[in-house]
Amino acid sequence: MLSKLSLRNMKRSARDYMIYLLTMTIVVALMYAFNSLIFQNELASYFELVDLMAVMIGMATVFIVLIVAWLINYMVRFILEKRSREFGIYLLLGMKKKTVSRLYMRENVLLGSFAFLLGLLTGILLQQALLAIMFAMLGLSYQLHISLNPWTLLMTALCYMGCYLLALLRCKGKFRKMSISGLMNAQRQNQEIKEKHEPAKRIFFPVSIVFIALFWIWFGHLENAGEIVLFLLGLVAVIYLFYVGVSAWLICYVRKKGEGVYRGQNLFLFRQFASKVRTMQFTFGTLTALFTLALMGTSISFMFNDYENTVLQGKFPFDVQVYSSDVADDFADERTVIGQYEQDDTYHTYHIYTDGKNRVNGWILTHLEAWGTMYQNPDGTPDWPEIEKMLGERITYYQYDTYMLLSDYNALRRMLGYEEKALGPDEYIFQVKPRLLAEVREAGLELKLEGLAQEPLACKEIVGDPFSQDGHNGADYLVVVPDAALAGLKPYYAEMAVQLSGKASPGLQKELDGLVQEEDDFSLYPSGELCSGSDNIVTYAAVNLVRENLIPEVKYMLSSIVIPLFYIGLVFVCVAVTVLSVQQLSDSAKYRFRYEVLSKLGMGKGERSRLILKQMAVYYLCPAILAILISGKMILYMSEQFVVMTGVPTASGWFFLESILLFFSIYLVYFVVTYVSFKRNVQGDVP
Amino acid sequence: MNEYIRICDVEKYYGNASHVTKAVDRVSFTVDRGEFVGVMGASGSGKTTLLNLLATIDRVTAGHIFYENTDITELRENDLSEFRKKNLGFVFQEYNLLDILTLEENIMLALTLQGEKKKEIQRKCQEILELLGIDGIRNQYPYQVSGGQKQRCACARAMVNRPKLLLADEPTGALDSHSAQTLLETFGRLNTEVGATILMVTHDAFSASYCGRILFLKDGKIFHELVRGEKSRRQFLQEILDVLSLTGGELTDAF
Repeated sequence: MLSKLSLRNMKRSARDYMIYLLTMTIVVALMYAFNSLIFQNELASYFELVDLMAVMIGMATVFIVLIVAWLINYMVRFILEKRSREFGIYLLLGMKKKTVSRLYMRENVLLGSFAFLLGLLTGILLQQALLAIMFAMLGLSYQLHISLNPWTLLMTALCYMGCYLLALLRCKGKFRKMSISGLMNAQRQNQEIKEKHEPAKRIFFPVSIVFIALFWIWFGHLENAGEIVLFLLGLVAVIYLFYVGVSAWLICYVRKKGEGVYRGQNLFLFRQFASKVRTMQFTFGTLTALFTLALMGTSISFMFNDYENTVLQGKFPFDVQVYSSDVADDFADERTVIGQYEQDDTYHTYHIYTDGKNRVNGWILTHLEAWGTMYQNPDGTPDWPEIEKMLGERITYYQYDTYMLLSDYNALRRMLGYEEKALGPDEYIFQVKPRLLAEVREAGLELKLEGLAQEPLACKEIVGDPFSQDGHNGADYLVVVPDAALAGLKPYYAEMAVQLSGKASPGLQKELDGLVQEEDDFSLYPSGELCSGSDNIVTYAAVNLVRENLIPEVKYMLSSIVIPLFYIGLVFVCVAVTVLSVQQLSDSAKYRFRYEVLSKLGMGKGERSRLILKQMAVYYLCPAILAILISGKMILYMSEQFVVMTGVPTASGWFFLESILLFFSIYLVYFVVTYVSFKRNVQGDVP
Repeated sequence: MNEYIRICDVEKYYGNASHVTKAVDRVSFTVDRGEFVGVMGASGSGKTTLLNLLATIDRVTAGHIFYENTDITELRENDLSEFRKKNLGFVFQEYNLLDILTLEENIMLALTLQGEKKKEIQRKCQEILELLGIDGIRNQYPYQVSGGQKQRCACARAMVNRPKLLLADEPTGALDSHSAQTLLETFGRLNTEVGATILMVTHDAFSASYCGRILFLKDGKIFHELVRGEKSRRQFLQEILDVLSLTGGELTDAF
């Protein structure tokens, strides 16, 4: 009998809380699909870093299990509250508390299992889509084959069970504490509107707004970790206090009978919203926090994705590039290795030179946006002691300025298919990374280089073609000088660039790296000598670069950031918007009554529909807009930094816009589903 | 005779082809301006259905209902709600106050929906609050006040627009005897002092004795009518009880 009852109740819950079921299905599907990346054997053969993805997804899973457990716990308590009368009646009929509690738990487990099965089916399809996307991102081809991986299944089941265990454990004590009358009256209690100290609480509204405004102004200028932590704590407080403030402010406004109250349906709308926010203020705060995190996660995800698509290709213009700290190196071993696979490749071996000074390094450190005023004296002149200290200690730039001869430069340009350049005897070309081109041009390179040729050299042109400047052809920059200036320079290190006639073999990079190990076994990165310049966030500096091998490897590495963040973002948005929707739908009965009264007061059906739309729009938009306001500054700041440090050509606001679009498309789906069923529940057959 | 509201051969059927229930069966009567009419009958006699038809909440199966020259059975959905807004006021047994609004705001809402000006809303609100003696509790929420006070607030909301007809469905049903008496006296005052036209449905003889005329309904038909005329309320009550005892039931409900 009990199992029959719980089965029937489960069916009813599934119908009443369809949105919840929908979300749990989506969560299981996402879990299965993303977990499958951990147990993905096909990629393991391609990449060394295959464990990285597993670790990152594992970390994401921890957050997701916690948040899904929160959702389940919230829903279990919520449904319990809504059905308290029914449970009271069970007790009244003589059922033991233990039996009722077991009945309820069984219902929840049944509902959960149902969602799990549905989710699994969806997940198997989603997994194929995800793998196809992933392979496409890596530039590999993928053959669709639907299969159920037992390990993925096990892990998904364990995660899911973990969520339930966490959630139900916290609910267990709930029944023990309840009395029959408590259960019967539980619903009546939360209808009372508690209003206390409203004028005092009202202050939180302007305070939150001012705090957010200050946050927008100051966030970029925070200097130490302490200040940032303080600000973040403030933000958390603001997220929660904002809602206390909003409802108090609205209540006071209505009490004071402001002008707006007398217009149309405003009175109803204000009061409705104020009372909803008042009863849900804590939940609203948590939802805002979730939305904020989701927006940030997806924005960062979009940033790295953009990097993959726009910058990465230009990072490795040559098919193979080899560095040697030994200036006498003729690269014979490397030639042999490459020659095993490739017969008619073109190659060029050359030197990077130095004059043993750091005039150009000094200019770079005082003029690039990345360094700001770090290496300037208060009057704007270079702070030489600091600059020398930095160049000696850090491997950002080579210790001395890096030069290239025009003949080498043109040979390399020919290999890359660029047009050749010419120089007068008193001129030099400043070759920089593409992302620095605009910046350097704007700064105006007035630097005259003396002591290299008979006359001081002046800058003829600043060039920003992709030129492998992450340590190979200089770090960030190269000064290209006429061959006649060789007298004033000495070789700094040796380089070889190769363009292959076909594709590089998958193992070429490993084989070349193996040579280095044999030659000098102390390090792959000779101490302080391979320097990658001012790139930040994503840098890849290595002695040997084989483009065909590296691009998928770096993409894979980036995907292990992009994919888990995206995963977190999606789940967080779904969880949060589910809570919003379920709250709204479960109040249908209450709203039905209110709208019936409005109907009796003579409000037409069309007017009521518009009012429902207005009321729901405000309800859905409020936490979303606050989350956008809060995350906006952080995301914009991060993406500005990202653009400066990695050189993606995208406008910094774009990532934020993209995630808002993604966010609102998920939001819209839930909104429409909720609106349709809410309207049906509320209006039904009321004329 | 000043025929204000005319109900002509109104029928209302429920159910399907195999099983039809005649809730209201060819009922005709008129209500004059400023009259206080009661409709009495046992449970299931069709009195609430009749009220819903008058209230435009439900539609007739056949027949016509005229408010002066408007036939509301001919109006369309949107016109009906407009009509309701301008001409009718409701008082129900379960108060139908919005729990999220204070008493004063519940009354204000009815006015703001009419698109009235701020000054006008404030004046009318103040007036009706005072008239019904709930001025002192205007800022309380419905859950904070007694049933009688709630019902008086519902009354105030219904009356604040000066409707052509005030419809009351068992308004004293949920009230204790003292509150019920106060409310009925309020109805009486609204009727005599403001000249409100009231139609009240009740199965309680005591409540009915405050009316000027009573229609008795049984199985969807009017089977008797009583007019108070110059009689005292006590005499009228006795007459009502006599009618009820004739019908054989509902006597226990009378006290």
